[in-house]
Amino acid sequence: MGTKRQITEYLDIDLEKELWCCNRCGYELISARENYKKGCSIYIRKDLATIYNSPLKGPFTFAPDPTWAMLVEFYCPACGTMFENEMLPPGHPVTHDIELDIDKLKEKHLSASTNKK
Amino acid sequence: MRPDPKKLLEWIKPSPPTKEERECMKLLQPGDYEIYTEKLNNFLLESKEIFIKLGVSSMLRSGDVVTGIYTPTGDMVAAWCGTYLHAVVGQLPIKFVAETWLDEPTVGCKDGDIFYASDPLYGGIHNCDQIVIMPVFNDGELIAWTNAAVHQPETGACEPGGMPLTAKTRHDEGMLLSPIKIGENFRLREDLVEMCVNLMSRAPRMQAIDMRARLSAADRLRQRIVSLAQEKGNDFVKGLFRRIVIEAEEGTRRRIKEWNDGTYRAVTFMDIVGEKHKLVRNFLTLHKKGDQIIWDFTGTSPETDSPQHCMPHALAANIAIHLMSYSFNDLPVSAGVLAPMEFIVPEGCMFNPHFEAAQSNSAPSCHGGMTLGTICMSKLMFDSPQRELVAAATGNTGVGVLVSGVNQWGVLIADFLAYGLNSEGHGARSDMDGVDAFGFSHCPTGRTPDIEDIEIEYQFLNLLAKLNKDSCGFGKNRGGAGTEIVHIVNYVPYALYNSHVKGSKIRNCMGLFGGYPPSTLPGIEVFHTNIWEKMKRGDKDLPSSAMQLISERTIKGDYKIDSIFQKTHVMENGDLWVVFSGGGGGYGDALERDPEMVMDDLRREIISHWTAENIYHVAYNSETLEADVEKTEQLRQQEREDRKARGTTWAEFEKEWSQLRPPEDILDYYGSWPDGKKTREIIRL
Repeated sequence: MGTKRQITEYLDIDLEKELWCCNRCGYELISARENYKKGCSIYIRKDLATIYNSPLKGPFTFAPDPTWAMLVEFYCPACGTMFENEMLPPGHPVTHDIELDIDKLKEKHLSASTNKK
Repeated sequence: MRPDPKKLLEWIKPSPPTKEERECMKLLQPGDYEIYTEKLNNFLLESKEIFIKLGVSSMLRSGDVVTGIYTPTGDMVAAWCGTYLHAVVGQLPIKFVAETWLDEPTVGCKDGDIFYASDPLYGGIHNCDQIVIMPVFNDGELIAWTNAAVHQPETGACEPGGMPLTAKTRHDEGMLLSPIKIGENFRLREDLVEMCVNLMSRAPRMQAIDMRARLSAADRLRQRIVSLAQEKGNDFVKGLFRRIVIEAEEGTRRRIKEWNDGTYRAVTFMDIVGEKHKLVRNFLTLHKKGDQIIWDFTGTSPETDSPQHCMPHALAANIAIHLMSYSFNDLPVSAGVLAPMEFIVPEGCMFNPHFEAAQSNSAPSCHGGMTLGTICMSKLMFDSPQRELVAAATGNTGVGVLVSGVNQWGVLIADFLAYGLNSEGHGARSDMDGVDAFGFSHCPTGRTPDIEDIEIEYQFLNLLAKLNKDSCGFGKNRGGAGTEIVHIVNYVPYALYNSHVKGSKIRNCMGLFGGYPPSTLPGIEVFHTNIWEKMKRGDKDLPSSAMQLISERTIKGDYKIDSIFQKTHVMENGDLWVVFSGGGGGYGDALERDPEMVMDDLRREIISHWTAENIYHVAYNSETLEADVEKTEQLRQQEREDRKARGTTWAEFEKEWSQLRPPEDILDYYGSWPDGKKTREIIRL
């Protein structure tokens, strides 16, 4: 891992470079001080029947109503792993879900590893 | 005299220890803390068993209850949960009584007194939740309080079932009890019991029995604490209680301090307002700094003329369900856990409405908040020693299915059908699948009532009850499956039915780290069926699942596929309907799920072949259910390549996404788009 911390199932932060990275392939996404979603490959899944198969047709099925909800999927641009998704009404801003205090994180882990050395 | 919402919110946290309590703590010898906290837990377990065995309404019998022990100032020491939210808010009417009635000459408080409350404005959740409170005296000194609380599924409101969808103000909601003294000398006052029973004329028997069940549980707990005080002394008991609260606070702060400082956000959406399908938003910004967590719900949609509101203290108590069942599950269930928490809930949002607002649907209104709490806490805990507690959201559909009328014994009932309520799917975790049909979102230990018990008590035959295929959120670890049950009106000419279940348009349950949210839930009803003729003939083609019911339609009748959310209406003898409970959210990318686990899901009918092929991209023999691992990897690699091909950059995404907007007619109650700010005043009559 070196100076990387695993922050989610699929995302690391490289503390020295201050970058979000893919945990599976190491691809460097974007500054750790930014919303990692801005560095992802993004897909708007408008037809949710492609995830929720339903024999029912009409306004009420096992899939969300497409006028109410769409699924925004965030992929690793290099390996295609899905980091996260959000079920949102069409056009609703995506969420800046993780905004870490990077200075504190560096202080906590980089100084700890320096001391260890 | 009524406490303001800020005071109620502050009351969920413990009061500072007094000098006397600190002195009393010194009486504890090594080992005493461990031995006597366990003893308290045994007292609680016993009182819970008494409670469940004596009561009659379905949530009570399902174990969706609390019995709790509180300090003389009302701080929660320990509770059997049960419903963590009831344990937390149980403090508030006690604190009100301690502050207001103790020295009031016309009320006062002495050994054997019994207090009773249900009004959220005095610290409850919603007026369905009735709480009995007893002071614990030993040698003339008030040393503790006990309580017992459970949802009463009738309140005498404008609709049966205690949670009227048409309520516009609190005046439509039936009995709202500020804390009153309802008994003396260890006995309920029959005139006051009769007042409550009379108000519950749709289900008087349930009210009469369940009131006594609450009292029996709280009184048994009281007796045990008195015995302990007689054995060890009052000061020992006071010292023990305060030590428990302090241990919980110190343990909570220690753990929070280890986690990464930062800000975590999540948003979720609810699809019902009053009796209409409308969109509202719940938003949480969680700030973690040092040993403190700030929960800021700014950005949540405004209050409405519906009953889908809650008070800030009720929201905090619902958040506590996650805290006490996940993040701090190994610490005492005490007020200390809440000491490091601050809550910001703006006035005028649906979580902090005007006091005249209806809030009988308070608990289901908090499900979005509960989802947000789980998701933000999981993102906070991933890079910590608590990674194993990281989870996607529980179903959080709040399967409120209410029936009323006269049962087959000629008795008036108005009750929840607690099967769906107590069998939602659990959220998938970082290291395992969510538990199928795990329990009630407010009560992890709640259990579905026995099917035969339901049929004995109520005017229904249950055609089938099982896990609902494809109801879980898919992922590397899948969410727990929800359930389906088909009720048929039996024995009686008709019954009344309504449903508060959310999630036919959009689910407020979220997946985590690429795990999918679970499916939506349609409503299915069949009127004027030939079910009894078929049963009489011994037909072999009765459906064994809801899907088979609607796809094969071997039962003749008028099929109605609609929202799962239903206003009160009449179901005649032989009419049937399906109740779905929601599955839990998935965790992680579905392409990382072990193909063998996908096969196991197929064998257990948790998922369909369509899902195995199209979501998990597994190659397998559909007859033997043997996975082809090599070919699966090829299919999955192809899907990863497809994702890369269809994905766009942030700039391209923003360009397209910013042009989209939901239909105007679903945004009537949302507030300003998209940030949910208040746009109009609500005038209540």
